This record gives sequence, structure tokens and C-alpha cells, in this order.
Amino acid sequence: MIPILSLSVFLPLIGALILLAMPRASATQAHAVGIAASAATLILALVMWSRGVVAGEFVQVEEIAWIEAIGAAYRVGVDGLSLPLIGLTALLFLLSFIHQARSQDRARSFVILMLMLETASIGTFAALDALLFYVFFEVSLVSMYFMIAGWGEEGRQRAALMFFLYTLLGSLPLLLAILGMFLASDPWSFDMRIWIDDAPLGGAAAMAALVAMLFTFAVKIPVFPVHTWLPAAHVQAPTVGSVILAGVMLKFGTYGLVRFALQMLPDAFAAAGNVVLIFGVASALYGALVALAQSDLKRLIAYTSVNHMGYVVIGVAVAALATDPAMRAVALDGAILQMVSHGLVTGALFFLVGMLKERTHTREMARMGGLLKPVPVLGWSFVLFAFASLGLPGLAHFPAEFQIFLATLNVAPVAVISILAIVVTAGLYLRAIGLVFLGEPDARWQALPDLDRRDLVVLVPLVLLTLAIGIAPGWVLSVIHVTTSAAGF
Amino acid sequence: MSAVLPTILTPILAPVAAATVIALGRRLPGPIALAGVVVALLASGMLLAAAFSGRVSPLVLPGLPEMPLRLEAGPLSAVLSALVAVIATFVLVFATGYMRADPQRNRFFATMLIFVAAMQALVLAADWITLLAAWEVIGATSYLLIGFWYRKPGVADAATRAFLYTRSADLGLYLGVFLLIGAAGSSEISATLAISGPAATLGGLLLLVAAMGKSAQLPMQDWLMRAMAGPTPVSALLHSATLVAAGAILLIRVSPMLPGQTLVVIGLVGGATTVVTGMIALAERDLKRLLAASTSSQYGLMLLAVGAGAPVVALLHLIAHAAIKSGLFLGAGVFQHQRGSTRLEDLAGVGRAHPRIFAGFALAALSLAGIPPLAGFFSKDAIIAATMSAPGAAWLLPLGLAGTVLTGAYMARAMTLLWRGPHAPAGGGNPDLVWMGSGMGALVALAAGLGAGFPAVEELLGAHVATSAVAMALGLGAALAGLALGWKVDGARLLGPLAGRAERGFAIGGGMDALVARPALALARACDRFETRLFGAVLAVGRATATIAQGTRVSDERGIDGAIFGLVRATIASGARARRLQSGLIHRELALTAIATGLIAAALFAAPLLL
Repeated sequence: MIPILSLSVFLPLIGALILLAMPRASATQAHAVGIAASAATLILALVMWSRGVVAGEFVQVEEIAWIEAIGAAYRVGVDGLSLPLIGLTALLFLLSFIHQARSQDRARSFVILMLMLETASIGTFAALDALLFYVFFEVSLVSMYFMIAGWGEEGRQRAALMFFLYTLLGSLPLLLAILGMFLASDPWSFDMRIWIDDAPLGGAAAMAALVAMLFTFAVKIPVFPVHTWLPAAHVQAPTVGSVILAGVMLKFGTYGLVRFALQMLPDAFAAAGNVVLIFGVASALYGALVALAQSDLKRLIAYTSVNHMGYVVIGVAVAALATDPAMRAVALDGAILQMVSHGLVTGALFFLVGMLKERTHTREMARMGGLLKPVPVLGWSFVLFAFASLGLPGLAHFPAEFQIFLATLNVAPVAVISILAIVVTAGLYLRAIGLVFLGEPDARWQALPDLDRRDLVVLVPLVLLTLAIGIAPGWVLSVIHVTTSAAGF
Repeated sequence: MSAVLPTILTPILAPVAAATVIALGRRLPGPIALAGVVVALLASGMLLAAAFSGRVSPLVLPGLPEMPLRLEAGPLSAVLSALVAVIATFVLVFATGYMRADPQRNRFFATMLIFVAAMQALVLAADWITLLAAWEVIGATSYLLIGFWYRKPGVADAATRAFLYTRSADLGLYLGVFLLIGAAGSSEISATLAISGPAATLGGLLLLVAAMGKSAQLPMQDWLMRAMAGPTPVSALLHSATLVAAGAILLIRVSPMLPGQTLVVIGLVGGATTVVTGMIALAERDLKRLLAASTSSQYGLMLLAVGAGAPVVALLHLIAHAAIKSGLFLGAGVFQHQRGSTRLEDLAGVGRAHPRIFAGFALAALSLAGIPPLAGFFSKDAIIAATMSAPGAAWLLPLGLAGTVLTGAYMARAMTLLWRGPHAPAGGGNPDLVWMGSGMGALVALAAGLGAGFPAVEELLGAHVATSAVAMALGLGAALAGLALGWKVDGARLLGPLAGRAERGFAIGGGMDALVARPALALARACDRFETRLFGAVLAVGRATATIAQGTRVSDERGIDGAIFGLVRATIASGARARRLQSGLIHRELALTAIATGLIAAALFAAPLLL
């Protein structure tokens, strides 16, 4: 049988190796390799999607012995939590390669970095071995660091330092927690499935491991108050860097929160659930409020990520606290769908901000204005995704946030105060739309070109998926729900 | 129809299909839009016929896990669906003339159709998720419609305000729905109507907040008057059977669940609104804003009826008001077309120049005031009768009567101002006027004659609406007194010391801007300042750590340092440029961390050997 999952993990890396072997590759050739490798990866992800998932176990499992003495092995597999995220990753990378394809700036190096990042990203979601997970998790940081430092904007040095200090130092506690779980497992193993089925740690040790993990994932998600690297990194990162960072890499944190913290340390998480919940609520409200105060459109969208990922944290914490399995499943369905929705919607918004900046050479909202007239397609696309981001029904965030808040009110009623953030997000997006697109356009914007065919190729899939999830979320939720409703998840 | 598509989906999907055709084809928006709403109207008629014959079959669609979406045309839903379809059809007939010259009419008709589809989904919804979704889409499409002329100054502000007001209030609907689903264990509306106790009381109050926002009840009345920035057909539709109606419809819908205390609160909110916004209407200097204030006031009367325990009476007034108010707005639209303004001083005498339009306007106005045998008389009479027999009659009856007097007074005032004044000749022969006149004429006919259909509605809903000679006398007396006052006495004099406050719209404590918007913005800025400090602090810690790391660096690290970076460089092949970009600090940081990781890994590998 063809190891489809492993192929989808390593196809991008193979693409990167091919490019490495072509030192004189032109920009066109480099982009072609990037698009081909990521398109093939997306096809493989779709094949996996068509095969579906099974309740209570991982599918597409592939194992190769690695370091047998310590029970570490190459183990990959998917379930209803990781499969949608792998699909999202494959799609966003392909769209990023398409968007990037007009760039001539050190194209070969950039494509190599992106392909490495894609392997690391899919690998992070697919890994069933904790050591393997950690390796992928760390490799992704290196790629993103070089992307910001090498292709970023004016203040990239400081942003890269911030990103690096935070996320690399931030991930050390996770390593300690993994080692702790390894040492407590009997016989020694890094097999995540064993840790999920039979939690190796209990009592104070479990709590210590949980705290360590929470720190790592909180930085990654990011959760207030360890989120300050995110807006800095976004503002300096190139457009596709922002798309991948927000669309894919933030999900490492929430994925880890569910896969490691919730699944491997359920009792400790239930005990600490209220604390996690408070951080989630604080992130959701604080992210929305700070976004409201921004004048830079890209920073604004970066802060809405803090808000949206805060809802995911709330959903996972509520799931940990829930005693009723039905409510627990509602909370987790919402949290996982929110990850997918955020990837699509925020990915699209970062693409759009990049397209705006290419045309106006500014991100300052006050310097734009009236742009709906010269660039109507870009403008209406932004309006659509802004409405999606503020949680309008019929678009991708609504079913996710509905489930998260529904479970929150019924499990931890006080935390539903975070719903105030949906009004703040509505206000900040309407303000942004008003400043950037409404009113009479300035004379210098009259001749701006609207979106071209390549831009549309990037945006249309995101529009369709945002609508498809919003109107009939069943096709994604059914996959997620198979896993979340299974006993023992 | 039902073979291809369930009838119940047609009122929703026909307008959506028409909107899609307009968006893609970009031609003939008027006729396509009319085709869409006429098909929806036929389907709604079939649903109503089916409801009369007792054949109601729900449609279940996939939604969230364990929470499917449901549509059901029960008696109430079927009546409302037909009402929405009728009003939408005639407003679009009018709009075909009104928007003929607008270069953006494709966008106008497409948005109107989505708006109508969402309203149909709202009235046909049989589960809370569909209802909530439709409710929010209505809010968003009305933002697009109010902001239709987005390049004009002030329009973006009016649209934003409308959306934010209603969305803030929508939190009540969200929380209410979460509470009810949690209490009933089902998202079906009929299942949640059976609950009682604290969940019903609290849930009812939360839904009331949402209804107050949408139906522009005190203290959230302000956005509706500013929402006049949109085209007139938009106002005609928003104020009659759609956006604003959603609030009252919600309360009528859930009234079987509402306990006594909640009903009292609803009645008082409605009563206070009808009086206060009635006074605002009396003081208004702009015809469309006067009509908008009147809308709040009439929805206040509907909430009063719900509070008095008579939801069917509220429904009757909602039906009558829908036809009346859309007719009035369309009349205002014709006048606006003639004079290029909606300020009452600019419109002075316009009625005499267009006697037929004025006659239609006056007929609708008299119906709203409650003059027999027009439709408004029956519904208003039923409201007075309901408040008389309600538990809180001592409060509710005077509020209802005051609202009725005020209705007569401000409608009479509008009619006087439109009739008296300089007589300018009409610019006749306008082909647009044919479309506008026929759309308006049909609605005015309904505004006058709908009362004849009320017994059938009562029968369908299985409710007997009580009335009495006393109620009739009181209601008619109040209406006539109001008309006489409004015709004879100037609005400002009538209000006396309250005139100034009424003109400013009774903004409590500076209005929502001062109470909510400005504090929220101030809080946002405070958070942003804190954010800047937090960023600075973290950066300082990072720099300090890097400096310490540099200081404690051991000499032989250099070799490892170089080896690791050689490896990294080879792997990522980012070449000379990347090397120049990397600061020394980060090199060392990466090296240190990599070494630390390596040491831990080494310890890990060594551990089994040692043990």
C-alpha cells in the first residue's frame, strides 16, 4: 500500500531537495517546483480526506522503527482533529506558492524554505511520536525565522529576535514535559497513542507537565500576555509568511493544547481548566480591544488572531471542564472548526492586505479611503472576509463560535463574557471598511488596478470554502465529530 | 414545485437565485428581482393555503452535529411569510421606478433580494440556529443597504451605527438561545417553548434585549432614525415587514414561554417607547425621520400588546403596520423624487401638487391613526382592549392611549405640512412615477382594507381577539383627539417644555455614543498603550538574556557554533544574503538552544545505559 500520509509529509521536502540540487534554478523554475510539490501534497490530502476517519483511533497509520532502545519511532497517523488541519495546511501552502510566484526576490531560497516549512507543518499535525512531533515543531520555527529575517520589511531584525526568543525558548518546557511523560511510561515509549490511551503521569507530576506544556502552547497560540511576538512578526513578515504563520503555525499551539494537554493529561487539565479559561477569555477580549485601537491594517488583523485563537482556548478549556460528554463534544467541535475557519479567513485577509499594500504601498488605514470604487473586487472580497471574521452566519466562523459559546454558557457561564468581543470585532472591522473602502477615493487611487487572474485563483478557493463551511458545516464537522464524540477522546 | 424543491425552501431560494443571476449577468436587475419575489410570493401563498388546510410538514436540513436546521410553515410562520412576500413584491415594484437611473442598481436589487431571503428564513425557522443566522444576516444586509450610497459623507457612519446597535443587542439573542438550548436539550424552537422557571424568565429577558435592538425600542431607538441614509425603498422594507419587525416577531413567537414578570417588563418597555418616540416624531423636521420615529412608536404598541398577553393582537398590528408604513415611505419617496429633499420645510405643499399620491399617503396615515374602517383601526382597537383586561392595566392602558393620541397628532402634523405651503406645479409624465405609483397604490389598498382579513388570521391561529365598546370608544376618541391636535396645533407647542429634548431624540445621558462607544474606544486605546509597554518589556528581557548569553559563552563553543551554522546554511541554502542579515545575537541564541537541546537529548540517550 502507498504510504499516502508519509508522502504528503515528505513530498514538499523532496521538492526542496530537488531545488537544492539545481543551484542555478531560475525564479520560474523554483516557483514551478513549489507549486507542483504543494499541489501534489494537496491532492494526497484530499485522498486522505475521502477515506475519512474512524471513531476512537488513528487512521492512515504508518510506522518505521527508529531508536528502538527508547521506544522512539517514526509514527504518523490522522484522526478528526489532525485531518482537517492537514487539509488546511496543504491548501494554504499551495495558495501561498501561487501568490508568491510573481516574486523574483531570491525565489529559489524562498521556495526551499517554504517547502521545508510545509513538511514541518504537516509533520507536526501527523506525528504520533512525541519526539518526532517535537522535531517537526522546532524545524518549522527555523524556517519561519529565516523567512522573516530574510524577506521581511524594515524592522525585521527586532521582529525576528522577538519571534525567535519567544518560540524557541518557549518550546523548551514542552520538551521537559515530553521527557517526563517518557520516563513515566512503562515500558519507555514516545508513542503518543499509548500516552493518550493510558495517561502516564498523575497527581503533581501531571500538573507540572501540564504547566510546562501550557507555557509552550500559550506562546505558540498565542495567549495574552505572551502574545507580543505575533503582531511584530506579522507586520514584518512577507505576505505569505503572514498567511502561513496565522493560518497554519498558530494552530500548532491549539493542536498541542488538545492533543497533548487535554488528551494526555485530562485530569490535570480539568483541575486547571478554570485558569486556562481565564487566559482564553482575557486573550479574546484583549485581542479584540487592542485590534480596535490599531491604525495599521495588518496589525489589526494580527490582533484579531489573538481574539479568535482566544475562542479556541476557551473551547478547549470548556471541554476539559465539561462533565456532560455531549457538551464536551460541542465545545471541541467548535474549537477545532474554529482553527480551520480562522486559517481560511485570516489567511484570506492577509492575502488581501498584501494585495492592497502592493497597490497602495501603505498599510495605514487613514491614508487609504474610498478604495471600493477603484478596486471593487478587492474591496468586496475584503468586506466578505471581514464579515466572516466578525462571525456572520453563513460564513465560516459562525458555526464554530456558536458551538464554543453554546458550550461555554452551559459549562462555565461567567466565561461567556467573552462574547462581548464579537461586538468589538464587528466595530473594528466596520471601522476598517469605512476608513479603507468607503467614502470618496483620493485622486491618486483612481487608477489602481483591481485584482488580476492570479489574485482570483488565490482567493476564490478561500471564498468558496468560507461559504461552504458557513452554510453547511456538516461536511467538516462530521469528520471532527466522529473523533470528538468517541468515548475516551 | 414541490417535486423539484420543497415548497418551504422556495421563498428563501427564489430571491437568492435571482440575486445570483443579477450578480453574474449584470443586466435587467429590476425584472429579474421581480421574478424572484413573485415566485417567492406564490410559494408563500401555497404555504399559507397549506396552513389553512392543516397540512404542515417540517423540513429538516443538516446543520451542526445533533442540532439539525429546521424550517416549518406553521400558522404564524405562514402568515408572516406571506406578509413578507407581499410587501417585498410591491416595494420592489416601486424600486423598479425609483432606482431606474441609479448606475449601481444591480448591487441594489441583489442585496435587497438577499435581505428578503434572510427575512423569509427568519419567519420560517423552526430551530434557533436558523433563526439566529437569519437574524444576523438581516442585520448585515441592512448595513449594506443603509450604506448603499457609500461615497456620500455620513453614510458609512449611519450604516456602521445601525449594525453595531443591533449587533450589541443581538448578544441578548445569542445568550438567550444558548440558555434555552441548554435548558431544553434541543435547538428546536417548539421544544424550548415548553420550558418554565428561571430559565424561561431569564431567557425571555435576554430575547427582549435583542428585540429591543432590532425593533428600535428605548433606549436603542436612535439608530433607526439615522438609518435614513439609504434609498427610500430600503426604508420602506426595513420598517415594515422585515428588519424592525424581527424584534416583535421574536417576542410573538416565544410568548407562550414567557412568564408573567417578563411580560410586564416587555409591556412597560413597549409602552415607554411608544410615548417617547411618538413625541420625537411630533418634533421631527424631516419626513423620513418622522416616519422612522413613528416606526419605533408603533413597535412599542406591539410590545405593549405582547406584554398584555395578547400576541395575536400584536401580530395583527404588525400586519397592518407593515402595509401602512411601507405605503407611507413610498409616498415619502415620491415626494423626495419631486423636491430632492425629505426635510418637511422643503416638502411644504408637495401634497397639493400630487393629489393622488397625497391621497394615498393620507389614507395610510389615517389607517395608522386608527380611523374606521381602515385596517389600523381594528388592530389598535384590539390593543386597547387587550391592555384593559391585562394584569398591569393601570400602567398599560394609559400608555397605549397616549401612544394612540400621539400617532394621530404626528400623522396629522405630517399631512398639514405636506398640504399647506407654496403650490408648485408637478413635473408630469415621468415614466418612473408609474412604477412608483402602482407599488405604493397596492400597499395603500392593503393598508386600508387588510382589516377584512383579520378574522381569518385569528381563526388560523386559533385565537379569539376580544374587543369591547368601551375599548372602541376610547381608541377612536384618542385617535380623533390626536388628529385634531396635530392638525390645529404646532408640534413644538404641543410638546411644551419637552420639545427641545424630543428634537434631540431623548438621548439618555448623551446617548449610546457617550455611554458605550466612547468608553469602549478609550478602553481599546488603554489596552493598546499597555500593549506597547508589554512589548518593550519583553524586548528588554530578550536583549538582557542575549547579553548574558554572550558574556558566559565558553571559548570552544566557537567550533560548535560554526559547525551548526554550516549545517543550517547548507540545509536551507539561503546563501550570502541571509548570512548578512543574521545578527550575531541570534546566531548565538540558536546555537545555545541547539546545544542545550543536544545535551538534553544526550542525557536522554545516556539514561538507559546508566540505569
